[in-house]
Amino acid sequence: MEILLQLVFSGIALGMIYAVIAFGYQLTFATSGTLNFGQGEALMLGALVGLSLVGNIHGGPYLNYWLMIPVVIVFGALQGVVVEWIGVRPALKIKSEFGWIMSTIALAIIFKNVAENIWGKDDLTFPTPLSATPFQVLGANVQPMQVVVVLGALAMMLAVEIFNRKSIYGKAVVATSNDRDAAGLMGINTSMVITFSYALSSATAAFAGVLVAPLTLTGATMGTALGLKAFAVAIIGGLTSGMGAIVGGLILGIAETLTGFYISTGYKEVPGLLLLLLVLAIKPAGLFGKTAIKKV
Amino acid sequence: MNYTTKAYVAAALVTLSLSTAAIAAEPIKIGVTGPFTGGSAPMGVSMRDGVKLAVADINAKGGVLGRPLQLVERDDEAKNERGVQIAQELINKEKVVGTVGFINTGVALASQRFYQEAKIPVMDNVATGSVVTKQFVAPEFKDNYVFRNAANDTIQSAMIVDEAVIRQKHTKVAILADSTNYGQLGREDLERALGTKGIKPVAVEKYNLKDVDMTAQLLKAKQGGAQVVLTYGIGPELAQIANGMEKLNWRVPIIGSWTLSMGNFIDNAGKNGEGARMPQTFIQDPNTPKRKAFIEAYQKAYKIDRIPSPVSAAQGYDSIYLLAAAIKQAGTTDGVKVREALENLSTTVDGVVTSYNKPYTHDDHEAIKPNMVVIGEVKGGRVILAK
Repeated sequence: MEILLQLVFSGIALGMIYAVIAFGYQLTFATSGTLNFGQGEALMLGALVGLSLVGNIHGGPYLNYWLMIPVVIVFGALQGVVVEWIGVRPALKIKSEFGWIMSTIALAIIFKNVAENIWGKDDLTFPTPLSATPFQVLGANVQPMQVVVVLGALAMMLAVEIFNRKSIYGKAVVATSNDRDAAGLMGINTSMVITFSYALSSATAAFAGVLVAPLTLTGATMGTALGLKAFAVAIIGGLTSGMGAIVGGLILGIAETLTGFYISTGYKEVPGLLLLLLVLAIKPAGLFGKTAIKKV
Repeated sequence: MNYTTKAYVAAALVTLSLSTAAIAAEPIKIGVTGPFTGGSAPMGVSMRDGVKLAVADINAKGGVLGRPLQLVERDDEAKNERGVQIAQELINKEKVVGTVGFINTGVALASQRFYQEAKIPVMDNVATGSVVTKQFVAPEFKDNYVFRNAANDTIQSAMIVDEAVIRQKHTKVAILADSTNYGQLGREDLERALGTKGIKPVAVEKYNLKDVDMTAQLLKAKQGGAQVVLTYGIGPELAQIANGMEKLNWRVPIIGSWTLSMGNFIDNAGKNGEGARMPQTFIQDPNTPKRKAFIEAYQKAYKIDRIPSPVSAAQGYDSIYLLAAAIKQAGTTDGVKVREALENLSTTVDGVVTSYNKPYTHDDHEAIKPNMVVIGEVKGGRVILAK
């Protein structure tokens, strides 16, 4: 029983990491029907910028750990704006169906290479103010940092949801995601809303970066594998549902740790991918997604 | 051959016959290949820097055969396909006389074929997979062009098992190895070495590079009742193992291949890495004048205190001396002659790791013998001799 609990706890922490990144995919998909395939790289850049501020690699530390977080979020938002501006806006303008795919992937590669030149290709440790010593919950061990990852991720997603439902700007976002053309006719600056959604999505990824960095080691290559897993999560959960990201993330995280223990560590990645295929075959919109009807 | 090339050749011949000084200045090209970036970088960079020190020393004393040594460095990024590309480039375009390097067993196995075919000696100075020097052996191949001056996995796995089973008296062991060639070949060697002691590991687990969660693997080892964890992998993931143990609040000794001495394991594991033990051919400890001079020269040249991977640096340094001695003895840079000279070295090569006295024969291309390897231990962010 303790074993199962331990595996589930580790799976939850892992799954929430996937969920935050998957949430970022959904933010941009909702408003513009496009995805930022550099979501993993946005996370990586956030983590490395954070490391430069609080670590001692570039002559720091310059900032207190908690003060660093807002700086990183602002950086992430700016990075998202750049991605939207260079990679996505031109494709939307010419109504290209797929141009944004290549350009966001291209930008992701560029970001990775730039990061390799600035921070090197080696993995670095991320300092954390929290103790790494685990405490016991019902016989299983949990690290304070793992709790922070879960709570931080939930808080951030909640904040975005509340913003969308309560504020007038959020309502513009919801309106745009429901029907971009109608929202435009009602006087909403939809291209501004799309830019904003990219800023928000990269900002959440950057925040996720500093959250998970102490658990995963930080380096220019950290984003690729996480970004891919999170994409699977977004598909499993459904690209139109915040709830889907959380549930999808938890399913994948827990499935990985359980398979690793009960079947074989060599097959750890298999159930996630099987699940992905299964969802695509049976419910292509994802577990929580709404089926979109495309009028031609 | 077109007219221009002919003219060049003619001109070259004239110059050669007219001035011996021109011959003297022509450098001997030696390839250096290894990962200078990525998870294996501490090994690759230390190796390269050790090689550069040796070349600088030799050139300061007038070079070999009156010609200076010139290095052609290439970053193989620990990728097999890059290694293959580099091997072809070094052989066909750069026309190297010999190559030193190979940090990753997989890259070595993929790339060595080209040196074998071109009859150019290649000196494997870090990669430890037992099969590396046995890829081209009789009767299928008459001569083998692959040499090594690193402690191979057969030696290392026996030492790891001795340390765990005989010295520390553990009977329940778990093996954690990564899914690369290096990890899986090492795991086989470990299981074989354990078998000779009549021990079957309680858990044999695998992980991928860049895995961020080792809970499942460690829990299996813990549930099996393991008293010690034996590892085969490289720095960053080894650190994840050590840190994962802390996550589970489970502390048992870690004993593993020599890569536990990598700077990125020691730094990223921090206090969780303390006490990890591994076989070492060289420890950053100035216990002989030769070693003292080498360590001081390294620290001065690269302005650092701790060598990222002392073993790689020392073995890289020695590999150049071995190759240079062979070229000197052969009196030519012809690959076949250099190989023959390496197999019958008549002078003792005084290296940092050891004094190489007839290190190779025609059928034995391993310079490092079991008695040259010691057990190191991570203590206070450094590797020291284990007591």
